[in-house]
This record gives sequence, structure tokens and C-alpha cells, in this order.
Amino acid sequence: MADSKRINKEDIGRLLDEWSKEFSVSVPSRENGMPAVLPWDGKDTSFLEWYRNTVIPPKANFFPPYEKMFDFQKEAEGYHLELPPSDKQKYLIFGIRPCDARALTMLDTVFQDTYQDPYYLSRRANTVLVGLGCTNPYDSCFCTSLGIGPGESTDVDLMFTDTGDGFFIEPVSDKGRELLAATGGVEDTLEADEARAKDVKKAAYRKIIRRVDTGDIQQRLAACFENQDYWEKVAAKCVSCGICTFLCPTCYCFDINDELSQDEGTRFRSWDSCSFPIYTRMPMENPRQEKWRRVRQKVCHKYWFYPTNLDITACTGCGRCIRLCPVNWDITQTLNNLPASS
Amino acid sequence: MPVTSQHARMPSSVCSIDILHLTGVKLKQAKEWEPKLLGFLCRWCSYAGADLAGTSRKKYPANIRIIKVPCSGRVDPLFILKALQMGFDGVLVSGCHPGDCHYQTGNYRARRRIAITKKFLEYAGIEPERLQASWVSASEAVKFTGVVTEVTKGLERVGANKLFADERQGDGTATAQ
Amino acid sequence: MEQRLRSEVKALLKQGKIDRVIGFEPGSLKFTTTPLITSDGDDVDRLVINPFIVNNLSVYLTGTSGRVGIVAKGCDSRSIVSLIQDNKVLRENVVIIGIPCSGVIDLTKVERLAGKDRDELDDIVHQGDKITVTVDGKKKEFPASEALFDNCLGCEFPTPREYDILLDEPVTPTPDKAISEQKLDSLREMPQEQRWQFWKEEFSRCIRCYACRNVCPACFCERCFVEESEPQWVLPVPRWQDNLIFQVIRSIHVAGRCTDCGECERACPVNIPLRSLTREMDNLVEELFHYKVGIDKEAPPLFIAYELEEAEDLIR
Repeated sequence: MADSKRINKEDIGRLLDEWSKEFSVSVPSRENGMPAVLPWDGKDTSFLEWYRNTVIPPKANFFPPYEKMFDFQKEAEGYHLELPPSDKQKYLIFGIRPCDARALTMLDTVFQDTYQDPYYLSRRANTVLVGLGCTNPYDSCFCTSLGIGPGESTDVDLMFTDTGDGFFIEPVSDKGRELLAATGGVEDTLEADEARAKDVKKAAYRKIIRRVDTGDIQQRLAACFENQDYWEKVAAKCVSCGICTFLCPTCYCFDINDELSQDEGTRFRSWDSCSFPIYTRMPMENPRQEKWRRVRQKVCHKYWFYPTNLDITACTGCGRCIRLCPVNWDITQTLNNLPASS
Repeated sequence: MPVTSQHARMPSSVCSIDILHLTGVKLKQAKEWEPKLLGFLCRWCSYAGADLAGTSRKKYPANIRIIKVPCSGRVDPLFILKALQMGFDGVLVSGCHPGDCHYQTGNYRARRRIAITKKFLEYAGIEPERLQASWVSASEAVKFTGVVTEVTKGLERVGANKLFADERQGDGTATAQ
Repeated sequence: MEQRLRSEVKALLKQGKIDRVIGFEPGSLKFTTTPLITSDGDDVDRLVINPFIVNNLSVYLTGTSGRVGIVAKGCDSRSIVSLIQDNKVLRENVVIIGIPCSGVIDLTKVERLAGKDRDELDDIVHQGDKITVTVDGKKKEFPASEALFDNCLGCEFPTPREYDILLDEPVTPTPDKAISEQKLDSLREMPQEQRWQFWKEEFSRCIRCYACRNVCPACFCERCFVEESEPQWVLPVPRWQDNLIFQVIRSIHVAGRCTDCGECERACPVNIPLRSLTREMDNLVEELFHYKVGIDKEAPPLFIAYELEEAEDLIR
């Protein structure tokens, strides 16, 4: 690739430093033993040694667990809305994995569908994504079954591939190309570098052991949709918490609540989960009162309804739901064992 | 069952509280800080005792705002923490003497709950002076005035409640980042 | 123990003494087990007992119908007794298959000791007071006290006292309160304001997934106070103020029912040290009211019982 570059590992700190002049840089960090993407402290690059993937997905940087939508005051006629000040800051996320980056591309579809969500989209527009290919996938990763790979670069602006002693840097988008051209301290690449990067990507691809058979998945789900026995069995151990949905990089459901005080208040948006029993509760009824209905809906939404409506599988195989579920409920097992019919 | 709001005594410096929307209520502060004490008084004994103090013209600090509950056993520790979040500097729960509860055992439940809550909140980092409990019977007007005076003094010593004040902007990106 | 467990459960199912069994089967990740809930005799061969049976299965008892066989460690059996005290399940509807427990392995601790993640380890074996971890073919030994869960290290009731079948010889308790309460002790040493700051910081990470509440057998309310909207005590918004109130009140609400199984802290995806709250609650319950949770199924629950004279020093 003509405009690719490379950089040694020990120079990463200097690179982030340079970028910090223009951007607010966030990197993987392991405060409290929990990997997350947090603002860089200016010094620590030890994440290069331990980073595999975060617990909270990078969607939280664009669609946070909660955010203030606006303040409002009641006036003589109507309401006065005070929107939060627009954030002019430019952000750079270093180290986003291909699965999470693909998830952001999917979320773009959601937040641009019939309504342009200003909160999410403005952050997306102001952020540069610097991807980092995986070299050590978890045993819970299954991105390769979903058309993504640990070296997939289509959804980031710049793609870094770990070649052992350094990184192979590929510009992907125009934003990335511009940034790379303006970045100092990166070297030109040789053909050997490009070949090495390709090998690294292939090796990482082979390391992924978990597979989901996605062939005809929509038809297979449709065929067993009414099979209450199967879904009750699948859902039996679920405790209906929100971990799988909150930590899923493609899940986007949210709740809106007001905090009121006489004539004024604040409106908040916060994460919501279809796993919660009260998610579909309405005055007259609750169509998903039973746990098996909610579990069925979650699986079908991701692998059947979403692909049908928007042509995207709403799962990127990041494996967080499997790794962090307190009862080890496993979506790949559920999908691989779908019965033939009701 | 909601707290009987029609009997809440709210002095004019506090806007009347819409009892269904508690989360947004923030109490306005007078110019110079004075402790704000929220009292949950049981309707049979302590409230009557407070009433008697009033009719007997016995003085007690006006820092207390009173909510009448049917029994001290009605008080859930949730109310206490909620009051602290709303901005009250302290909470007083007062009921009938053990053995005299109108509902036989309500105040025994209250005693267990308050004891646990008091010690637990202290462990969590809340000053112990902020949660107080007392047994005040319907005839103990003097005791009531004494309790309120002492508790208020204790709160003056401990200072304004800044437990739930937030220096941040209230935007969730701080959590995400 | 495993063989005996499987044959006992098969017999119980065949004789119609239970409609289904709740136990552990191997999970889909290394060194993980997952709950198995089944009425099918063929599934019973998947039941396992190993040092990774972390879940407190009694959380599945509330609201079930019929007769259930349930596999229970010491802490789990006390949770079952507590549920019986609260009338959430009838004693005659459970067949408790007790496991005398020598402690369950905390994978987070092992990962820290071995310097590698769970899926990069070859093997973990617990024998006596040692844990042997095999990494890249090489074995490393650690004292068990560095690898078991904190609550296991302070456990006073490792052998179920309430059971129908006990799968092995009782285990002698060797509780080390100091080790199991290390985190709590460091909190107790902090001045009051610093403690509050600590919890403020911790609860800033909380995303209100409610895993802590949902894995807890003591949290069996059909409608939790956080779901109330009239009045709305706590916003569903994960601000630290709301999160703190949620967890502090949850700890108080489960007082007298919490058996320190540690599931809340293990389930938390953002590593909030919840046990530092719930364990203190256990200690207070014992100190103030001399009540040990889940020991006597005939005893009235903590907040139903009362003594004529108690805790008077806290009341004016």
C-alpha cells in the first residue's frame, strides 16, 4: 500500500503525545482491574502489553450510559429548553478493535434512521478512530463467523497492525489519510512490512476458535420461533440482568426520564435493556412477561429481525456477553443448537 | 402507600413538595446556613407529643420539618437516604416507647431497622449525627423539645450536608470516559 | 462426589420425588460452570462438582412450582433456609443435595497471580491448601488462601446444615476473618469523609445492569424499589448518587438474608467491591441482634423478630 507507514512500539508514547496536541486522546486503561477506554494520562503505554479488549464497549464514548439531553423551565406559555453546550472538542480513540468499530458502523444506521440523533452523531463526527488489530483473541471471540476478522479495517480511520517490534499503519478513510499525512515520526514501509502485517492478520484469524453457523440463520430461527420448550430451556438460567445488552457494542435501547422539581427539570437518556422484565410493561399488559420470550427476542432481534429490516446482523462477535454473563449464558451455543422446528 | 403529605408541615422557605416527583427536589438554602432536620413522627405518640409542645407554648428550634407517619415502623431506610439526597442535613425518627406501640410491634421493627441503618450508614461514610431516633410519648412535650434541640445542635456541629453534591456537570460521559 | 450426585439425582427423578434438578454443568469457557436446570434424566450425566461452581443456585427457587432438587454449597444452603424462613419456598418442595465445600476459586485472583488471562491458562487444580496453576506447560503453586474467594476464606459454615442428601464428609471450617475482610478493614481505617469519597468513586462506574440484584437469592421482590415511579425514589439514570442509594438500600433491604455468597461482587462487570457493603451488613446483624443468617429454618426472619430490650443505646 503506497501510503502506509510504520512505527516502533517504543515510539507510541511520542505519537500519542503528538496527537494529544490536537485531540483528546483515549486509550485502553485498566483502572480498577476493569479494561475500559479512558482519557490518556499522558504517560502510560503499558496497555500495549496486556490489552485484549475492554469491558465497557467504545459505544459508551458516543452513546454514554447516561447523558443530559436538556434542562427545561416552565414558562408562561410552553417550556424553555436549555441544551447542553455543544462539544467542540476533537477526540481520538486509540486501540479500538475491529468488532467494536464495526458495531459503531451499525449504530450509525440506527441513529440516522428516521431521526438524526444529534448527541450520538456529533460525537461520531468529532472522533477519529484508530483501530488496533487483535493478535490474541479471547476464547469467547467469534467475529470471524460474522464476516469480520481480527484484522478488519473497514470501519476505522487508521488501522494499526502489531507486527511484533512495531506497528504497520494503514490509512482507511480520508480523515485517517489526512491525519497520517500530518503525523510526524512515522517511517515509510517496505514490502516486507506489508507482508508481515498480512501474516499477522492471518494468524490472528486462525486463533479464533469459537464459531457460529450463520447459514440460513434467519430461516432456522423462524422455523423454531414457536418452540416454547426450546426457548424455555435456553432461558432457564438467565437472571434477566442487563449485562449482555449493556456491554454489547451494538445494543442501543435507551430510556428517557425526567427529573422534576416544580416548574423545572432535566431530561436524561440512559441505557435500557430488553432483558429487564419491565421493559415491555404497559398499562394493559406485558407481552414479554415471561423470561423465555425476552431471551428469544434478544436472539431473534440480532440475527433475524435486524438483518431482515436493515440488512445488518446486529452482532459483531466480540464475545463480551459470553465472558461477562454471571451465569455463562452463551449465544453461540443457543444458535448452534437451534432445533429444526417447533 | 404514600406518606400522608397533607400533614407535612413545610415552612415557606421550602417550596411545597410534589410528593410523587421526589428525585428533583432540592431544598433552597436560607442566606446563613441553618440545619434542616426532617422528622418522621408516629401519629399516635410522637406527633401528639410535638403537638402538645406546640399548644403548651414550649419552644423548640424551627429547623425541624415534620412528616406524620402512622407508625415509626412505617419508616423505610430508603426515606432516610432519600431525605439526605434531597438536601436535609439530618433525619429524626420518633415513635412510641417499646411496649406502647399502637400497632403492638411496629416500633420494635423500627428499632431494628434504625439500629442497622444508623450503623451501616456510618460505615458507608455518613456522619452518625445525621440519623437520630427517639421514643417520645404523647405526653412528653418537654422531651420532644429537648430531643429536637439536641439533634439540631448536633447538626450544627456536623455542618451542612454535602454528601450528594456533585462537582461534575452531570453528564454521563464522565462515566464512559 | 460427582458420581454419587448423578446417581442420586437420577434416582430422585425416576422415583418422581423431584420434577427437576438445579445443578452445575461445565460452562462454555475454560474453568467455568453454568447452571443446569433440567427435568430430563439424560441431562443428569452433565452435572459436575469442581472448584468453579460459583453460582448461588437458590436464586432460581423463588417463584418456581413443583418439587426441585437443588445442589447447594454451605452458603447456598443457608440462602435456601433463609428463603424458607421468608416463605418463598416450602421445605417439602426442595430436596437439598448438599456439598461440603472447601472453597471456590476466584479466577480474577488466579489471573493476577499467573499474570495471564483465564483462557490462556492450561489448568487450575485445588488440592488441600494449595492451588496449582499450569501456564505454558509449567506448573506454579500458590497457597489456596491467595486464590479462593474472600468470602470462602472467612466461611464459618462450609458444610450445609440443612440438607436431604450430603454428598461427602463434612468439612471443618477454618474461617480467617482478617483475610476475608481485608477490603473492609482498609475502609474502616479511613476517616469518614474519605470513605464516602471512595464509594462515590466506585459508584461512578456502576451502569445499573442490576446483575448484583438479580443473582442475589435474597432479592426476591417482585417489584424492586428502583422500579417504582410513583413516587420515584431513584432515577433509572446511572448517576453516582442514584447508584449509591440503590446499593446502600439494597444492602439494608437484604439484611438478615444475605449469606455472603459473594455472587453480587463476582457478577459486577465493573468490579465494584459490593461485598465490602454486604459483609459489613452481615457483621452488624450478628453484632446487634446475635442473628446468624440461614441457620434455623424455624426462626422468624430478622426484621420480624424482636427482643424486648435491644439496641436501646442508639435511641434517645
